Amino acid sequence: MEHYSPIVQFAGLRFDVPVVLMTILTSVLVFIVVMLCTRNMTTGVPKGKQNFFEWVIDFIRGIAGQFMDAKTSTKFVTLALTLFLYIFIGNQLGVMANFTVEHSEPIPSLGITQEVINEHGHEVEHDGHMEKTLGVAWFKSPTASPSVTFGLALMVLLYAHYLGIKKDAGSYVKHWFQPHPLMFILHVMEEFIIKPLTLPLRLFGNIFAGEVLIAFLLAGSVAVVSLPLIVWLGYSVFVGAVQAYIFTTLTLVYISQKVVDDH
Amino acid sequence: MDFAIALGLIFGLAAVGAGIGNGLVVSRTIEGVARQPEARGGLMGLMFLGLGLVEAVPIIAVAIGFMLFGRLG
Repeated sequence: MEHYSPIVQFAGLRFDVPVVLMTILTSVLVFIVVMLCTRNMTTGVPKGKQNFFEWVIDFIRGIAGQFMDAKTSTKFVTLALTLFLYIFIGNQLGVMANFTVEHSEPIPSLGITQEVINEHGHEVEHDGHMEKTLGVAWFKSPTASPSVTFGLALMVLLYAHYLGIKKDAGSYVKHWFQPHPLMFILHVMEEFIIKPLTLPLRLFGNIFAGEVLIAFLLAGSVAVVSLPLIVWLGYSVFVGAVQAYIFTTLTLVYISQKVVDDH
Repeated sequence: MDFAIALGLIFGLAAVGAGIGNGLVVSRTIEGVARQPEARGGLMGLMFLGLGLVEAVPIIAVAIGFMLFGRLG
């Protein structure tokens, strides 16, 4: 169950190779899905894929409309739509396929060096002699890595602060001390500790725990484990969709807290 | 052995917290739908949002439990 993730150093930064590949794959998939749904668009009655995509956009617009008035909500529908599609497709990728490749030969360009195989690999019987092989999980959800979820969440939170400052710097500073100057401590805790930690960790925890359990169930015997595996995979599809919806909704809530004056 | 007890505590307490929290959210939703069946769609949407928020910290505990299990087990 403990699969090693090969790491490549580039320009002083460490990149987790499977996560980078899956992030690229998710972006390409989102682009392909949207491109296929918006081919040959008509302004008349929409049919088929365009109808489906218009429903998705309407859904996001409904969520945005709950927290902001119509004029400001249209500015953030694209961001919310992108986040929703990216997180939704990213979550489903780990449910759809989950395989491990056993490496016994080093591939330095991917970060699998001989020291890594010796250190983290396990002994396997091969052609009559024992050999060290390394199990690498190449296909998993990008959101199962904390780096990706923290990146998304910090981007969204910094963007909300930027929007608040851009709108009106004076009232942005005043909000830190509303409704009472002592609330400053609570606001600092909220903005720097609670929001940047719970938002990404919620998404990471759900998807990571789901994937660990999928790997755990896959390692069992077919007779005992097939039914729980099917049930758990179905539940993981549902959890992936719900977590995408929650991340998008909370993004819009945090943006609306900075942009909408509700006094 | 302390490690096994610790892991058991992590997962058990997370399950208790998630169970009680989810139960409260869903029971209020059912009550709301019973009072006003037309509000079912809106209330269900709010229920899923509430479920996700309530389950956030227990799921973080579960993820940390798995990470500890992988690293120290």
